[in-house]
Amino acid sequence: MRQNGGEFRPLTAFVHELTTTATGQFTVSNFTVMVSGQPVEIPAATVTVVGDNSSLPPPRRLLLEPLVKNIYLGQSFRVRILLPAGEGNAIEALREIQINGDILMTDKKPLSFAIQTINFNGQLKPAFICEMSVTPIMAGTAKVSAQGFTAGREFTAPISITGQVTIPGGVPQYALLLSEAVEIQVHPLPADEPPGFTGAMAKLVRETPVLSTNRLHVGEPIHLSEIFRNDGDYTHFVPPAAPRSREWQIIADKPPASGFTLIPQTDAVTNTPVIPFCAFNPQTGKYYDLTIPALPVTVIGDGLPVNLPALENENSSAAPLKLSGLATSAGKTVASLKPLQLRGWFVLVQFLPVAGFLALWQWDRRRRYWEAHPDLFRRRQARRTLRREKRTFERAIAGQDATAFLQCAMSALRIAAAPHFPAEPRALVCADVLALLDAQDKNGRVGETVRKVFEAADTQFAATIPTPTDLLALAADVAAALQKLEEKL
Amino acid sequence: MKHLRFAICDLRFFHRHGCGLALFFAVNFAGAAEDFFAQGVAAYQAVQFPEAAAAFQKSAQTQPAVGTFINLGLAEWQRGHAGTAILAWEKARWIDPFDPRAEADLKFARAVAQVDKPQLKWFETASTWLPPNAWVWLAGGGLWLAVGALVLPRFFRRRKTGEQQWLAALGFGVFLFSLTANLGVVSRTNTGFILEKNTPLRLTPTREAEVISTLTAGEPVRRLRARGNYLFIRTASEAGWVEQSAFGQVSQ
Repeated sequence: MRQNGGEFRPLTAFVHELTTTATGQFTVSNFTVMVSGQPVEIPAATVTVVGDNSSLPPPRRLLLEPLVKNIYLGQSFRVRILLPAGEGNAIEALREIQINGDILMTDKKPLSFAIQTINFNGQLKPAFICEMSVTPIMAGTAKVSAQGFTAGREFTAPISITGQVTIPGGVPQYALLLSEAVEIQVHPLPADEPPGFTGAMAKLVRETPVLSTNRLHVGEPIHLSEIFRNDGDYTHFVPPAAPRSREWQIIADKPPASGFTLIPQTDAVTNTPVIPFCAFNPQTGKYYDLTIPALPVTVIGDGLPVNLPALENENSSAAPLKLSGLATSAGKTVASLKPLQLRGWFVLVQFLPVAGFLALWQWDRRRRYWEAHPDLFRRRQARRTLRREKRTFERAIAGQDATAFLQCAMSALRIAAAPHFPAEPRALVCADVLALLDAQDKNGRVGETVRKVFEAADTQFAATIPTPTDLLALAADVAAALQKLEEKL
Repeated sequence: MKHLRFAICDLRFFHRHGCGLALFFAVNFAGAAEDFFAQGVAAYQAVQFPEAAAAFQKSAQTQPAVGTFINLGLAEWQRGHAGTAILAWEKARWIDPFDPRAEADLKFARAVAQVDKPQLKWFETASTWLPPNAWVWLAGGGLWLAVGALVLPRFFRRRKTGEQQWLAALGFGVFLFSLTANLGVVSRTNTGFILEKNTPLRLTPTREAEVISTLTAGEPVRRLRARGNYLFIRTASEAGWVEQSAFGQVSQ
């Protein structure tokens, strides 16, 4: 607003601060701007810069004093904006005070106003002082400056005055004043942010939480009161947020109160929910825990009717009038409620009968084959019996039992020869066995061994039975003879 | 502890004598289930229904039994949990379809809670005539009886007789009917019940999704598919998504 004659007129001003580097006369030429679609001519302006300005009064400036210069992101801090008294110690109020800075957020309403005596350039001078709260919203280095309009004696809020001051009368000039920029370092918060951090930055102390009652019904609200006491100079308090819980409906009190209304959804709960909360202490640069612990409660369920005296409609007449009694024993049990049809092992069990039928089929097939080929069956049986006789034969040799050796050897020779006739092995004589050997073997050592074995066996029919002491020496020859006969099976 | 000590002694005995661990675990689990059952009965008689329900629940998890589920249903009903009670009694009927207590409790609960019975297809209804596991043994027995009656005389070189033919036909008949009942059992495993009252039935499987309607505790539904923490279910009149925790399946 600017006074024009006897009335105030609103003005829009774009302020640019210029600093000269040389003396002389400088002119900003006229130019045109468009205002609401209409061209408006801005006239040229001339300024003369002189070398010696001792005759001119010093320009009035604001002083900006942040109380801290190293802060954490989100940490609110106070700044003081001072306007020292002008000529004749005349004090003027400031209005529309604004803090300029890219990464700062300023509270619109100043915290306090005062007029105090300050030390300004070595002189004690009264000054108009305004305190504001500023919060950095980005980490990094911030350049902060202040601006405001002189407002004469228009004090917009209660003000405390210390010392003697002169408050001039008359119409205020509404001159825009600026301050020098001040550099502030904003540090980021540590990365290990614990759960429940809502942005609270202070040195807080949690007092013991208090429940309105600890015995309640399902759906009945109770209030959990929790007080956080500030133990530091300045606090930026954001109350804990209500966590999500299946068992509880949790409604947070309206900030800045930090209580909760809790409504149990089930009677299965025995404690109030744990409400995570923590704050950051800028002095130590660390988070600290302020979690509201669980408190024991007894929740009573709303039971359902156990009999039906009131239901009179036709459909319910078929229903029993009351619930059954408590079962005294567990009764019929199962391993699992999952049906066998959906269990993998049961499918595998179904392969057992299949395997049984397959085995039966294989057995029948083989049986029919042997019936069709009896000679092959006899040879197979002979090979099997021969293997058994050989084992007995080897045991007789190992035991130096000449009689057993003789019986085994002759039996084995007969078994190896029997399928060729075919005949019962015990019915065969030496000539039958020899007949199976080729001419060379028959007249050679193999034939001689066969003859010796049969001769020795025939001596058992003699009147005096000689002791066959040298028969065991034939073991290797008998084995060779059996090998020859087995090859023909 | 008593059962545990008994079980440890028996473990040494069975191990030494070449018996399996199966008997050890069976004895141990049965003992624990009996202990929980007794705790539940005592808590129920002391009108401590949440504790009784928790004890019966543990007993049922260790060894599902008809009496345990009936008592669990009673404890949950006393707590006001109609959905959980109906589910427990349905589980009792799943184990033993002939148990009159479960049948009566279900009728009573449905009359009070104003919910319907599950709508079953014809083969599902047939599957309720016997316990679920009986059908599968019946199907297996019928099939192999028929196959055996046809095949075994040939293997053992016996003459085919009319009795064998009748036996095979009977076996096949039992097998075919059991197949449909088994299909019903498998189909019924997807049926379940709403556990919580006023359960929101949502259009999409998200917490912020539009609520189509709210479902009553104990309402029978059929599970169709799952996505994340939500199940797509069909009620008698509509379909939508509910949270998994609001749905109780009989066969689990």
